[in-house]
Amino acid sequence: MRFFDRILPLVFVGTALVIWEAAARSGLWSPLLFPSLEKIFRELGLFFTKTEMLLEIQVSLERALGGFALAAAVGILLGIVMGRSRFVAALLDPLFSGTYAVPKLALFPIFIFVFGIGSLSKVALVFLECLYPIVIMTCAGAREVNRALLWSAQNMGASRTAILRRVVIPATTPFIFAGFRVAVPVAMIVVVITEMVASADGLGYQVIYAMSSLRTDRMLAVVIVIAALGYALDKAVVLLRDRLIYWEKLDTYYV
Amino acid sequence: MAAAKASLPLLALLAVLAVWQLAALRGLPEYVLSPVQITRHFLQALGTAELYENIWASLARSLPGFAIGSFLGAALGLAAGTARWFERMLSPAVFLTYPVPKIVMLPIFMIWFGIGDLSKVLIIALACFYPVFINAYYGVRQTRTILVWSALNMGATPAQIFRRVVLPSAAPMIMASLRVSLALSFIVMFAAEMINARSGLGQLIRIAENSLRFDLMYVSLVTIAILGYAGDRLVRLAHSRLLAWQQPAVA
Repeated sequence: MRFFDRILPLVFVGTALVIWEAAARSGLWSPLLFPSLEKIFRELGLFFTKTEMLLEIQVSLERALGGFALAAAVGILLGIVMGRSRFVAALLDPLFSGTYAVPKLALFPIFIFVFGIGSLSKVALVFLECLYPIVIMTCAGAREVNRALLWSAQNMGASRTAILRRVVIPATTPFIFAGFRVAVPVAMIVVVITEMVASADGLGYQVIYAMSSLRTDRMLAVVIVIAALGYALDKAVVLLRDRLIYWEKLDTYYV
Repeated sequence: MAAAKASLPLLALLAVLAVWQLAALRGLPEYVLSPVQITRHFLQALGTAELYENIWASLARSLPGFAIGSFLGAALGLAAGTARWFERMLSPAVFLTYPVPKIVMLPIFMIWFGIGDLSKVLIIALACFYPVFINAYYGVRQTRTILVWSALNMGATPAQIFRRVVLPSAAPMIMASLRVSLALSFIVMFAAEMINARSGLGQLIRIAENSLRFDLMYVSLVTIAILGYAGDRLVRLAHSRLLAWQQPAVA
C-alpha cells in the first residue's frame, strides 16, 4: 500500500505526459499549436545554453526580488507598528482593508508615466502588491503576542526595545513568513504580467514574443522556466522559515 | 472617544485628498489628475453607455471564471480531503503548480481556445481553482476527529457524516478562500484584458494609455476599484450570513 501510494502521483504525471505526446503525434492538431515534448525540451535546452536567455531570467528575478525585498522591509516595519500601536492601527487599518480587494494592477499605466516604462514601474507595482499580505499578516501576528510573555518580560525589568527584540519579533516571525509565502508568488505574477503588458525584456515578454511568432514550443519552454522559478522561490521561503523558526514546524505544508 | 477613533481614518483620508488637490492647483504633471477632476470625469462617464458596456464585458468574463474555478476547487478539494487515493493522485500536481503564476498560460490558452472570451474565462477559472482547492482540502483535514467518532458512534452513515460533520467544519475555510479567489479573478481579468481584448475595463485603460486619455485611465481605475471593493463586501456579507454560527475571523 505504501509503495502504491508513492507511485500513484508518478503514474498520474506519467499518464498525462504520454497522453500529451500521443495527442501531439496523432496529427489531429497542427504541431504549431500542440508541439511534441521533444520540441519543448529542445527549446528548454536552448534556454540554458544561450546567455541571452539566462539574462532574461536574471532581469525578471531582479524585478521580482527587488520589489519583494522593498515590500518586506516596509511591510514588517509597518505591520509591527500597526500591531503594537492602537493609534497607528486605527489610522492605517481601514486603508489596507479597504483597498485590499482592489486590483492594484490597474495602477500600472499610471506607474509607467510616473516611473518610466523600464524596471522601476514594475518594481514599484511588485512592491505595492506584496506590501498587503506582508503588512496584514505581520500586524495580525504582532497583535496576538502572548500577553503572559509580555507581562513576564516587563516583570523582569526588560526595556521596551528588549521586549520588541526578544519577545515581539520572535513571536511575529511565523506570521511574517506566512505573509512571505503569499507575497512571493504574487511577486512572480506581477512581474510576469507587467512584462507581458509593457516590456522589451524579461520572461513575460519572452512568452508574448513567442506567441506573436506562433512558437508554441518556445512558449511552453518559457512557461516551464517560470513555473520552476516560482516553485524554487516558494521552496526557498519554506527552507528559510524552517531554519529561522526551528521551534515551530510548519505542519500545514504539504510536499 | 469611539466616535473620534472611527473618524480618524476619515480625517486622514480627507487630509490626503486636500494636500493632493492643493498640489494639483500648484501644478502637477499632466498624468496626475486632481481628486476633483477625477470625480468629474467619473461622473461624466457614468452617464455614457460605453462605461456600462465595458463593465458588463469584464464581469461576463470574471464572474463565470470565478464560479467555475471556485466550484471545481471546492468539489475536488473536498474529495481530496475525504478520499485518500484521490488526494495521493491529485495533491502533488496541485501543490507543485500552486506557486506558479497562472497568467503565463494565457497565451497558450489563446492559441488553444481562441483569442475570444473562452480563453479568458478558462484562465480566470484556473487561477481561482487553487486557493479554493487548498482551503477546502485543509478544511476537511481540520475536522475534529472526536466529532467524526461521536457521529459514527451514533450510527451515522458516511454520507451523513460528510454532510453534517465534514462539510460544516470545512465551510468557513472555503468561504475565506472565496474572498481570495474573487480578488484574484478581478486581477486576472484585468491583466488578460490589458494583454488582449476588444472590450472591458482592462482594454479601456490600455487604449486610454496609448492615446494619452488620462481622464479615461482614471475612470477605468476608479471603476475597477469600486467593483473590487463591492465584490469583496458581498463575499464577506455572504460569509457572515451563511456561517452565522461561526465567530467572525480576524482580518
